[in-house]
Amino acid sequence: MSESATDAATKAELDRAFEDLYRAHLRDVYSYAYYRVGNHHDAEDLTEQAFLQAYRHFERARRESNGRPLRPWLIRIAHNLASNYHRDRARRPTANIEAVEPPSHPHDTEQIVEGREELRLVIDRLDRLSDDRREALIMRFALDMSNREIARALGRSDGATKVLIHRAIKQLEEEMEKE
Amino acid sequence: MSDESQVRLEALLSDALRPIEPPEDFASRVETTLSAITEQAAAELSSWADELSESELESLRDPRNWVRPVAAMAAGTLAGGALVIVGMRRRRRSTGFRATAGSVLRSVRPSGTAPRR
Repeated sequence: MSESATDAATKAELDRAFEDLYRAHLRDVYSYAYYRVGNHHDAEDLTEQAFLQAYRHFERARRESNGRPLRPWLIRIAHNLASNYHRDRARRPTANIEAVEPPSHPHDTEQIVEGREELRLVIDRLDRLSDDRREALIMRFALDMSNREIARALGRSDGATKVLIHRAIKQLEEEMEKE
Repeated sequence: MSDESQVRLEALLSDALRPIEPPEDFASRVETTLSAITEQAAAELSSWADELSESELESLRDPRNWVRPVAAMAAGTLAGGALVIVGMRRRRRSTGFRATAGSVLRSVRPSGTAPRR
């Protein structure tokens, strides 16, 4: 096989791997983006940018991952973009997590009314947490990420992440009890 | 914090922070953008390699001759990026209320009929 044919085959294999990554984690990146920016329009922009950036650096990330899952790397890209988004909009009013509507539930009407109030309260109290605590909870509960994955996405140690999540839940409970 | 209340709060968090499905048209739009980029990158790479003669390939082995191709690639990448952004903006402009209203008007108005002033 010639050198250019080998290059083309490598490139095609890389593109296929990226497509798999995209299909497997589109919902994760979108969910994370949505809970960080609070509206679908900006969540779409952020998700699109995250995948474009991921595509640009995919070959290197794959090489350096040593076979470990790439989801934390992908979420880290979305995390950095979301931080830039909030920094860029610091002078303007921002749509924060308070703007997020609790998802609808297939339950009885009474349960919906009661349940949605409680969910609204949780979302409202989440906004009182520091950014890193709130982000860790979004990764844990919206994306079902393990402590190790969250640690990699946030660039922290496993131990520090465990403490971060524990303190986030504790603070959230205290905030809920204030009502 | 008791174990029971922690379990309850975690259940509430799981409910409040449910995964959000991206809109269907959005997923296909991103796929189109990504395929366009990969095809464009592959085409640029192959046409660039095809255009090089043996002597040019030989001279490229000398790092002092790398400036021009690197600058050309950077310009190509920037142009590609700009095209993607323009494409995205064009798509965004063509959706929304005005575009929808325009297409509805076109479908109900007989062809060749100008809107009444």
